[in-house]
Amino acid sequence: MSTTTLPQPSVPALFTSPPPIQDTLNTQTSLLQSSTIQQCLPYLLNTAIPRTTPVNVHGVPHLTREKHIAFLHKTLSSLPSGYVGYDASRPWMFYWAFAALSVLGEHDAVVGYRERLVATVRPMQHPEGGFGGGAGQMAHLAPTYAVILALAMVGGEEALGLVDRRALWRWLGRLKQADGGFQMAIGGEEDVRGAYCAMVAISLLNLPLDLPRNSPAWSREGDTLLTGLPEWIARCQSFEGGIAERPDSEAHGGYAFCALASLCIMGEPHVILPRYLDIPRLISWLSARQYAPEGGFAGRTNKLVDGCYSHWVGGCWPLVQACLDGPSLYSPGSAPVAPTPSVGSLYSREGLIRYVLCCCQDRSKKGGLRDKPGANSDGYHSCYVLAGLGSAQTKWHFYSLKDLSSNDMSSEPQHAGQLMAGYQWAPEQIVEEGQVFDEVDRVEALDPVFVVPAGVAERTRKWFEVRRF
Amino acid sequence: MGRYEGNPVWDDVVPIPQEEGEGALAQIAYTDEYVEAMGYLRAVMAAKEHSPRVLDLTEHVISLNAAHYTVWLYRASTILALDIPIDKELEWMNEVALENQKNYQIWTHRQTLIDHIFPTLSSDPAAAQAFADAESAFMAEMFEEDAKNYHVWGHRQYIVRKFNLFDSDAELKSIEALLHEDVRNNSAWSHRFFLVFSNPAYTTAGSRATEHDPKIPDAMIDRELAFAQAAAHEAPQNQSAWEYIRGVLRKGGRELATLEGFAGEFVRIPEGGEEDIRSSHALDFLADAWSEKGELDKADMALRLLGEKYDRIRKNYWDWKRGLLRGAKV
Ligand SMILES: [Zn+2]
Repeated sequence: MSTTTLPQPSVPALFTSPPPIQDTLNTQTSLLQSSTIQQCLPYLLNTAIPRTTPVNVHGVPHLTREKHIAFLHKTLSSLPSGYVGYDASRPWMFYWAFAALSVLGEHDAVVGYRERLVATVRPMQHPEGGFGGGAGQMAHLAPTYAVILALAMVGGEEALGLVDRRALWRWLGRLKQADGGFQMAIGGEEDVRGAYCAMVAISLLNLPLDLPRNSPAWSREGDTLLTGLPEWIARCQSFEGGIAERPDSEAHGGYAFCALASLCIMGEPHVILPRYLDIPRLISWLSARQYAPEGGFAGRTNKLVDGCYSHWVGGCWPLVQACLDGPSLYSPGSAPVAPTPSVGSLYSREGLIRYVLCCCQDRSKKGGLRDKPGANSDGYHSCYVLAGLGSAQTKWHFYSLKDLSSNDMSSEPQHAGQLMAGYQWAPEQIVEEGQVFDEVDRVEALDPVFVVPAGVAERTRKWFEVRRF
Repeated sequence: MGRYEGNPVWDDVVPIPQEEGEGALAQIAYTDEYVEAMGYLRAVMAAKEHSPRVLDLTEHVISLNAAHYTVWLYRASTILALDIPIDKELEWMNEVALENQKNYQIWTHRQTLIDHIFPTLSSDPAAAQAFADAESAFMAEMFEEDAKNYHVWGHRQYIVRKFNLFDSDAELKSIEALLHEDVRNNSAWSHRFFLVFSNPAYTTAGSRATEHDPKIPDAMIDRELAFAQAAAHEAPQNQSAWEYIRGVLRKGGRELATLEGFAGEFVRIPEGGEEDIRSSHALDFLADAWSEKGELDKADMALRLLGEKYDRIRKNYWDWKRGLLRGAKV
């Protein structure tokens, strides 16, 4: 047999063996979980397919960047008729591709799409505010969020200037509900996604916070678009500690991120999160979303790992860690310094990185990233898997603009054209002895609140601040 | 000639083509059938037409693309405008839902229509009961495909609230049946928590899911604990049951230490010998119970076992909790 010409890559037993405690009683959930582990193990051990990519000394395959980049460009080209199901969510394709390309460092390529993006989304804007999934469709907060972030990523007058902010503000007023939350569309569902998409639009475009008089939520002078919103989000925290799409539903990773990020637009993480959420239960629930040996995250209790939760759950961690740490010391131009003691990382970054690089890459000619081995790669998973990878390689520092000695006891979320807390984050690459990825596989982290490349949110907000509403 | 063009029913309508920018991104090569139907849909929407033929048209578009929220919203507004009975609509929607498990829109549509007929429906208790039963039967069918379908569970909560099924025996029984099928179905556990602890008959309005509600009768807390403890015995490593137990204790304002003996059944740590741990969740539970009682060294030992042996993927988390204990010791 072969001799030892190559050092045997070492994969720790944690990522190669089933969990130490397993029940004897089998149900559909446990059977699916076992088969998922069996599906992932060959990838974690890199014995699965003919090895198309070399592995490093930690047994982790490299990021097949070029294939993923080609795949992402392809999602923006002409799509066959089978994609008709995306006809009402095409703006997501732009957002996912631009965000994923940015994580891979392809910023010029993203900006290169400016003209075509502008031409594409212009007819999607609804005359009464917001964007639809296509021309002639009703306005909806999901495509509105995706369009705004895509425009922000390409930047420039031509792109940012096309948004009708006044109409958008009036439309948001009509979506605002008396209980504090937002509907996704007029007559549509009210859930935490609505809160997040609305907060991103309000803050990034520097919209007035006053509640338009046409709002079904309008009850008295002084009401704002934020009135009752953090309280409504607080009601979405479930008994498990995670956050659900609406009050009384099941805790879910996607909604958890939307809720935390919404709050972190309204206030500083260490102030606002403990005010509205039970933090110990939240952390316990978040922490329980990571599985071994897979290493990745699941979205709910007793569900399977899925690459997209690398962002939805993974993206909660920087916000929660900043909440526990309090503000870092930072002035632009210098390196941020975390306060001591700092909680560091509360999850296994190694586990997540292994899951992403071993299990989520389609290393065939097709490229792109996926839910798990056996699933097809797509734009959505490419975006959120890569976002998770970037987050696992980065420490995000929240820094305070206020005098650090002054005790922040203000009892209201920030008001009146402020909402600045979302712009006080600085990234720092985590470089460690024994890290399981090679430096060539380092990617760029996306903004922890707005989920766009670092600096894009700040640039966009500034652009709108100096323009008449 | 297509389905609409040259069709006398649609003679008066001039279809509106889709406006698409120069070199637009991610353009979909629609089928001719879709292009034609959408052209007519844009035209009727522009004319704000709400008529029976709009129902045919929207049904057609939905059969081609069920994820088209605009079509659903427009269809709902048409049904409301025509004020027609909705039973046929519900039947049709059942089929669409079964074919489109991940669809959001259909549930909003369903609820819009139920809200619309509810004032009339609720004046006849027998009819309301029959309606709610039919909804439950349909959801049971959906659960056969996927018992954790998030949208269906959301609809179930809507139905419970709307028809006040909190005290319904059948509702609780059907959850028990689902948990009997799969005791790890966390969606079913979540729904049970909602049924029991959001019941307006005996809970404090606005009490959060994570907080003590003094209005809940002790007997209710006991009943729920017994139910979840039995489930934990069946499958000790099932996190759903343990989360539920913690949730119930908190609602009841009871300390974890009240169930120390129960959790201890799954954890044997003899002096000097090899420990026998049948549930990492029991160990986690005991760590918190001991910490609550001030037995910090024992709590620390439990957290160390978790981080080093029984739940290593969460080592950072367990170490952080150990740090909190040290803080408490000072
Ligand atoms: Zn996914």
